[in-house]
Amino acid sequence: MPQLNPEFFVSQLFWLAVFFTFLFVFLWRVSLPRIATVLEKRQNKIDENLSSAKELQEQAMEIEKKINDQINKAKLETDEKIKETINALQENVSSQLSSLDKDLEKKVSDAEKEILKSKDDQMKNINNEIVNITKLTVGKITDIELSDNELNKVIETQKGSFN
Amino acid sequence: MAAKDSPLKQFEIDPISNIELGGYNISFTNSSFAMLITVLVITLFLTLTVSTRSIIPSRMQLISELMYNFIAQLLSDTVGDNGKRYFPFVFSLFMFVLIGNMVGMIPYQFTFTSHIIVTFALAAVVFIGVTILGFINHGIKFFTFFYIPGVPFYMHPLLIPIEVISYLSRPISLSVRLFANMLAGHTLLKVFAGFVVSMPFFTGVFPLAFIVALTGLEILIAFLQAYVFAILTCLYINDAYHLH
Repeated sequence: MPQLNPEFFVSQLFWLAVFFTFLFVFLWRVSLPRIATVLEKRQNKIDENLSSAKELQEQAMEIEKKINDQINKAKLETDEKIKETINALQENVSSQLSSLDKDLEKKVSDAEKEILKSKDDQMKNINNEIVNITKLTVGKITDIELSDNELNKVIETQKGSFN
Repeated sequence: MAAKDSPLKQFEIDPISNIELGGYNISFTNSSFAMLITVLVITLFLTLTVSTRSIIPSRMQLISELMYNFIAQLLSDTVGDNGKRYFPFVFSLFMFVLIGNMVGMIPYQFTFTSHIIVTFALAAVVFIGVTILGFINHGIKFFTFFYIPGVPFYMHPLLIPIEVISYLSRPISLSVRLFANMLAGHTLLKVFAGFVVSMPFFTGVFPLAFIVALTGLEILIAFLQAYVFAILTCLYINDAYHLH
């Protein structure tokens, strides 16, 4: 079995020591630090991206919160405005209605007064007409000149039965 | 069977150039050449694939990173945080054995891991290093490693020698495991390759098909043995930190 032939033991050991030492030192000093740097760089990049993603998410949440706040605020303001407007309109309407009512009342009372006045006037005229007609009629029939006072007295006493 | 056709002939060492140093024969042989190829493959692969240092790796860079993470994970699983210091050594060991085995799978290429002297030297480095580490970490208390707590006192005279023997046989088991696997696999391949030539007519295709299947198995074993070598090294390092 060639493995047990000691002829080349020293040679084998010598070259093993040379090559393995070289390999070990080369990997230890050159190759492995390089791979480690790459892995570290990648890990850093991933961490960085993750943290910036988290930051962005937080910012987005903040913005969303702000938007929601503003929406709520706007809603409240709108509600307030609507209420105010409704109130103002109602006040306006009621004041206009009341002023209309007043106008109407005034007009009604004015009209009533006018009616009463014209009625009085008419009554007075009727009295005068009655007096004139009575005077004319009595004068034509009897030739008696009746004084206005006398006639008025008679009319006044009879008036109750007219009304 | 003539020596020329022996399945063990593939393990013979042929000097490429004869060198002598201080009376010792340190000829550059086919074994040394295989080691040279192995070291070149590892260093060039790990250097060139990571040369761009891209954040988004190319496929080749990914292979290097996967190997790095594979051994780093292995160390942190078995040893924990203490293991980081030994990462370059364990990684070099794993890659050296793995690529050495793989280079050996190339037809007509020498397999240096099939030589007991090579595997024993690697195992001895691990064994001596771990023992020194144990004494550095625990001083004289490292000897309590052989004392198993929670065992009836009359068992200790039996158990302590067993523990000592099992500890001392670590480099042997570690080196023989790798050596024997490589030896057996390559011998088997060679034997069946002999059948391909010697069998009549077209019946040689059957051993040929077997060789193809066996080559796949041998590649698996090449990886598995490198992995076993690395994981046992990790476990021994762990033992040097944590006694029973």
